[in-house]
Amino acid sequence: MRSKRIAWFALFMALAMVVAACSSDSGDTTTTEGDTTTTVAAETTTTEAMETTTTAAGGDTTTTTVPVVRADADLVIWADDTRTPVIQVFADRFAEENGITVAVQELGFQDIRDRLVTAGPAGEGPDIIIGAHDWLGQLVSAGVVAPLDLSSVEGNFSEAAVQAFNYEGAIYGLPYAVENIALVRNTDLAPDSPATFEDLVDNALALQADGTITLPLALQENGNGDPFHNYPIVTAFGGYVFGTNADGSYNPEDIGIDSDGGLAAAEYFGELSDQGVISIDTLYDVMIESFSTGQSPYAITGPWALNAFDEAGVNYVVEPIPSVNGGDPRPFIGVQGFMVSSFAENPLFASTFVLDFMATEEAQAALFEAGGRPPAHTAAFDAVAADNPNVKGFGEAGQNGYPMPAIPEMGSVWQAWTDAYALIFTGTDPAQAFTDAADQIRTLIAEG
Amino acid sequence: MSDRNPADGDDASTDSVSTAEGRGDQTPRPSRASAGMPTWGLVLKLLVLAAVNGAFLAGLPTMLENQWWTGLAVAAMAVILLDWAYLTKKNIPAKYLVPGTIFALAFQVVPVVYSGYISLTNSSISHRLSEQQAIDNLTSRVSNVPGTTLYQLAILDDDGELAFYLIDDTDEDFLGTTEGLEPLTDDRVETDADGDVIAVDDFVVLGLGDLADRQDEVLALEVPTDDGAIRATTFSSAAVYESLYSYDEATGLLTNNDTGVVYEPIEGQFTAADGSTLDPGWQIFIGFDNYVRVFTNDAIRGPFLQVLIWNYVFAIGSVALTFGVGLALAIALNHPGMRGQKIYRALLVIPYALPSFMTALVWAGMLNQEFGVINKLLGADIPWLRDPTLAKVSVLMVNTWLGFPYMFLVCTGALQAIPDEMKEASYVDGASPRQTFRRIVMPMLMIAVAPLLIASFAFNFNNFNVIYLLNQGGPPIEGAATPAGHTDILISYTYRLAFESGSGAQWGFASAIAVLIFLMVASVSAISFRRTRALEEIV
Repeated sequence: MRSKRIAWFALFMALAMVVAACSSDSGDTTTTEGDTTTTVAAETTTTEAMETTTTAAGGDTTTTTVPVVRADADLVIWADDTRTPVIQVFADRFAEENGITVAVQELGFQDIRDRLVTAGPAGEGPDIIIGAHDWLGQLVSAGVVAPLDLSSVEGNFSEAAVQAFNYEGAIYGLPYAVENIALVRNTDLAPDSPATFEDLVDNALALQADGTITLPLALQENGNGDPFHNYPIVTAFGGYVFGTNADGSYNPEDIGIDSDGGLAAAEYFGELSDQGVISIDTLYDVMIESFSTGQSPYAITGPWALNAFDEAGVNYVVEPIPSVNGGDPRPFIGVQGFMVSSFAENPLFASTFVLDFMATEEAQAALFEAGGRPPAHTAAFDAVAADNPNVKGFGEAGQNGYPMPAIPEMGSVWQAWTDAYALIFTGTDPAQAFTDAADQIRTLIAEG
Repeated sequence: MSDRNPADGDDASTDSVSTAEGRGDQTPRPSRASAGMPTWGLVLKLLVLAAVNGAFLAGLPTMLENQWWTGLAVAAMAVILLDWAYLTKKNIPAKYLVPGTIFALAFQVVPVVYSGYISLTNSSISHRLSEQQAIDNLTSRVSNVPGTTLYQLAILDDDGELAFYLIDDTDEDFLGTTEGLEPLTDDRVETDADGDVIAVDDFVVLGLGDLADRQDEVLALEVPTDDGAIRATTFSSAAVYESLYSYDEATGLLTNNDTGVVYEPIEGQFTAADGSTLDPGWQIFIGFDNYVRVFTNDAIRGPFLQVLIWNYVFAIGSVALTFGVGLALAIALNHPGMRGQKIYRALLVIPYALPSFMTALVWAGMLNQEFGVINKLLGADIPWLRDPTLAKVSVLMVNTWLGFPYMFLVCTGALQAIPDEMKEASYVDGASPRQTFRRIVMPMLMIAVAPLLIASFAFNFNNFNVIYLLNQGGPPIEGAATPAGHTDILISYTYRLAFESGSGAQWGFASAIAVLIFLMVASVSAISFRRTRALEEIV
């Protein structure tokens, strides 16, 4: 009887292992090892496009099960797991200096936005959150964040970072980090910085032809297409997502996906896919693994991927993406910052903490140490960049980037554009795919 | 089902029933309760009731604090009903009906009614606040007047009246009150040994700790100047601000102080004459507008029919396939001559025991065209999830894999419940095995299984998990009016429309769709149940 039970148990375990093994073979993200990478991706990204890969794999399940109720303190801050320890240090100092209580509550990065929208008006929300600038469209239209007057400190910050938090003429956040994607080059496989993107492609294809590598360019496409990671190439051809108004804000009426530049970019993606330079099957994990194991000489990715590359011990440099078809590739820029809830119980504590404690070089440098994102504080950035070439590389790559549109209409873009890439990569006429996507987005915006 | 087995209550209720019955002849059961000792059932009953009452009392302060009267009334009624049913010795039917009714109300009726309610509002991410909250939000928007001075600030107090002690960028100091700005001479300012200001005239400087409860007062303090009002930015700095909007309570109009544009409250949002609107708006009733929108919206009408047809194919196909596979295996394993029945049964249940959330993702990985284990094993390059037809086949296949163990378990149980005598009788009467199966086994099986098939249809009709986790509804339909996929079902398609496009979550609109899907599934289920009843009458 007992031996029978043991046999059953063994059989069950064997099966469970087979299932687990299958998943890791397939590069899927449900195994334990996958989990660590997805958490990183989920907390780092500011884009919906990347979210689709990470949330599905449980990127935000780590915290959604825990109900968050406002902590019992004078000042309450919501932050993610990476920044909580750093903010805690400054919060303790603030509490001690002023004789008040401060609590830092940890949530999943994306949860912060979703919870604030519901918890704020109900009086259960925090005073301060950290978040990404492209949440503003939703947060402002939901009426849950309050303008923050940066006039006393804004001179110390990168102008682009401050402007990213400008929504309809008011500034809603104090930036602490700027992130964008850049070219990461394996210096053993490709010792020379490519002069143009075309050189990069030729070089990579040559390496593939002699069997040195398998994937010429590790450009994340998530199995469908990734408008965020593809954007620099689109802009190099003169394509764009939304045109800009005279004051620099985005104009949702002007969709540039099916502009001449956009259509030319579509054709180029068709070519890259046909030549096998990029692959629709490059998931986040595949991108990390191919570059880490030397199966890919080039990757186009952000600072969130560097930890994995360092762990793998691969030699690399970070540099701007070279010109494509003679045009400058301009990535999306995501800015993270502190925002004050318009339902804050103690709004003055909140603005005092943010402007007096988190706008300092010291705080901004500490946040960089924890999160690895280039600081938005100019002096802190310069200090970090002086002895960290990666930060310098991402900084240079982001210099001519565009802030990710924060307007709500951007929500209508991701799926349609992702679908268009998926269709191109599976053989549909590229120009047609982009034209259809632009039409779909116009319909969605019109039907609001 | 429970109406056939009126005796299958838990220990507590059976006990209380017997005590109640015993009351009539005044002879309590002699065995255990002789010395007035409570039975274990009674103890358990009291513990559970105490827990329920305790939970209610624990929630009471919160409900009172938030003035959540409806919730309070409903919760109080539920608790009183439960106490009444179990603490009195009459009302035996109530002991069975009350808990079930409360659960049915809480988990079935309330969500449906609430969805119906929300579907009649414009609730969305930009229409979540109350009108007053929205007005407060807009009128509290201030902007720094460009080119004005930034001040260092200390907050002063004179018997409850607040004032600002301000130092400008040229080191001049001022006293700021609601009257205005007044330059200070050194003799009015009192400093301590370190040179820090501690008082101005009769005013004393307040520390941050002293101000914890008075922030609204500090924020409300505006020192008028020619450029605008000086307000506190933080506890240690102040600047000149002007309000962006002013609200006229008499007319209900909102004016932009900068441009002079006047906004009128229309349909839950401040709207200018040129049709431009201000966010946030507020939640209002809009009647059946959301439903009208579902039927007239170009975005929905586009691929709607295609999605709807596939939705039915998917739900019916899933039920048919899972039932077919489950039944076939159940019959095979139910054969008396079969060896190793238990091991097979245990193995077959594994897909059911693993969470579908995870296995759907594992399948997505295995079916990946380039890196998937299936293509690697086959040495092929089959676009399992990329080809429109193959993707549909894959979705059905995975869902069958996920669902057949349930059907297998159910069918095994139902098959074992059919008395062997009936089958033997039909053999004696000369029926072939096929005839026996068709005429005897199937009809008897269906009595038990048909309601579960209907439930399975309803479940699969809204099986968001499998669709979304396996392939996010893809591959995309080429040239569709709005982004839609070949394997999208109504719920995954409309989820995207309601939550991932436009300006974010549109709860009112999503609820209208949910109510429509509910009506569709409910009517199919109702018709099917009626048919099932006819089935029962045959036997």
